[in-house]
Amino acid sequence: MPVVVEVTLKSAALIFVLLTGFAYLSLLERKFIARLQARIGPNRAGPFGLLQPVADGLKLIFKESVTPKGVDKPIYFLAPALVVVPALMLFAVIPVGKGATFQLASDLNVGALYVVGVMSLAVYGIALAGWASNNKYAVLGGLRAAAQMIAYELGMGLSVAAVVLMASSASLADIVAAQYPEQYGGILGWFLFRQPVAAAIFVIAAFAEVARAPFDLVEAEQELTAGFMTEYGGMKFALFFMGEYVKMIAVSALFTTFFLGGWSGPFVNEAPILSVVYFTIKVVVCLLAFIWVRATLPRVRYDKLMDMGWKVLFPVALANVLVTAVLILLGLPGYRL
Amino acid sequence: MTLQQVIFIILAIAVIGSALFVVTTSNLFRGALMLIVAFFGVAGFYVLLDNGLFAVAQVMIYIGAISILIIFSVMLTRGMQAMIPRNAQAGSVAIAAALLFLILLLAFGPFRLVVDLSGVPILSALFRTESARVLGGVPWQFANREVPETYIADFGRALVDLNQFLLPFLLVAFLVDAVLAGAIYIARQRKPAEVIAEREAIAKEEAEELAALQPQPTAPTLPQGAIASTADH
Amino acid sequence: MNDFLPIFVLLVLASGLVSLVLLISVLFGPRRRARNETKLQPYESGMRPIGPAQRRLPVRFYLIAVLFILFDIEVVFFFPWAVALRELGWAGLLSMLIFIGILEAGHFWLWRRGALEWEKMDK
Repeated sequence: MPVVVEVTLKSAALIFVLLTGFAYLSLLERKFIARLQARIGPNRAGPFGLLQPVADGLKLIFKESVTPKGVDKPIYFLAPALVVVPALMLFAVIPVGKGATFQLASDLNVGALYVVGVMSLAVYGIALAGWASNNKYAVLGGLRAAAQMIAYELGMGLSVAAVVLMASSASLADIVAAQYPEQYGGILGWFLFRQPVAAAIFVIAAFAEVARAPFDLVEAEQELTAGFMTEYGGMKFALFFMGEYVKMIAVSALFTTFFLGGWSGPFVNEAPILSVVYFTIKVVVCLLAFIWVRATLPRVRYDKLMDMGWKVLFPVALANVLVTAVLILLGLPGYRL
Repeated sequence: MTLQQVIFIILAIAVIGSALFVVTTSNLFRGALMLIVAFFGVAGFYVLLDNGLFAVAQVMIYIGAISILIIFSVMLTRGMQAMIPRNAQAGSVAIAAALLFLILLLAFGPFRLVVDLSGVPILSALFRTESARVLGGVPWQFANREVPETYIADFGRALVDLNQFLLPFLLVAFLVDAVLAGAIYIARQRKPAEVIAEREAIAKEEAEELAALQPQPTAPTLPQGAIASTADH
Repeated sequence: MNDFLPIFVLLVLASGLVSLVLLISVLFGPRRRARNETKLQPYESGMRPIGPAQRRLPVRFYLIAVLFILFDIEVVFFFPWAVALRELGWAGLLSMLIFIGILEAGHFWLWRRGALEWEKMDK
């Protein structure tokens, strides 16, 4: 069955790229934050600290795997997997380049809904890790995470729904195509400019979904030690770490696909490989923004976070969908297919 | 067997197995988690039926939302710490479910069953049958029809069409509102006296349950959460 | 079904990767026996843990979860509607507005009753 072989090879390549990306994203974050804080950052392992991720990984491999007393063992070991697997699964529908070579299932006609659905699974890994750990900090962190993620998931779902409205298709390949109609020319076709409210909501919800600063209350160290991963060490901790970074790459890739025109750019018809380059550049820019925000903004208070999710983000997202629907039906220039 | 049939059988075993675990386990939390596995299996059935929309909706609503509610409810449950698992109705419910399944199998299954009630005095009057009737023997067939490419838009159209599913669609909204009203009722703020009276009633009930369990040789096992604190002192 | 083949393959590979990572730590990590109780004790800022870790959840989480179901259903219905809106026209928008109106009535009722006030709910 050649199809299965092809898909397997592509999936394996995708996972390999993501793992490498995760390793170097952690280095990039440390370097970039160090620069923002007038430090140098890791520079001992290899030239410019380029071997730092390898050193970190090796260190974690040779750590003892301690299982604290009183944990709910099957759930305790399952939880890190439940964080990493959905994060990796998100990439199945993202078109990373022009042509079938660089796409797995991006013409799946429910792709956008698939993204929202798989994103909603991530809450289990964190909530179960907290609950199974037999640790009060972990339980509180896990619960906080669950409530936070479900509050912001709705905003994300509705902002994606606005994008689907614009493209009249839930397939991610079609959404990319819809951002390059003839009449708009260049980057003005991006949904970032035609759906600015949806883009803003997506960004805010993405920070909350990935649980990074300023929404990293899940692991607020002053009050919760390390939150849901307090009792995790060694490679089990590494899996949580990997899950967070892969998810960060995933939401950046999704933002690129939904709002920044995906893989498109000049001369992609002549040289399809350029499309992958454009996609990577856009994703890296999003990731740098992620890191920059972490270095800049303080952590939000929990009640403010929940207030914002239910009382601001969700109503605004809903209104945005309805207004978009009206504008589409009126046939305004920017809202035609 | 085709590949589809193999996948179907694997999924069916997974769904039935996890569902059996859910109804037989005494650990509510594990039961809730296995329910998620069963929901995933059902999503797999939708994929087999070439309906990705329902598969993804199943994952989003049942796994992403309803299971979270169930897990939260388990975490809310009194006595998760020193649980006395007990379900007095398990036997009768199992019999009722089996009977229901048998009736469905007879009515809609592939077996033909001829029922002649004309000779029986009371029943023939009750069902107004003069002659024999045939139950079951429904000729199920494969649909042999491709799911159209545009099925998502078709579904969207059917939802807002008055002649198709608009009314059920709006009824769903009312149903969910009713659920919300129930949740608010459960979570309402109550007067302290009311709460105290309820707690006393619960304590009495628990004492009775414990007393009923006393003659048994094995004590109910302590949950894992209690171990650390007892070991230290 | 073929549409989901890559997703299934990716699921298998991702699960395999995770199991491999967990296996690596078992294979290469040192295994030392705990000499005393404290090594395996759950972390509680250096104190001995008091009482069970898993306490009962405040009821507001339950309310939030119910509200979430309410709108998750709405979001799921939004997608096929959004795909078809250009053919449905104003009638389609009107139907959806009625649906949202009914759901929003529930949302605003909960809001007015103060169930969304994270701090005051505790009492």
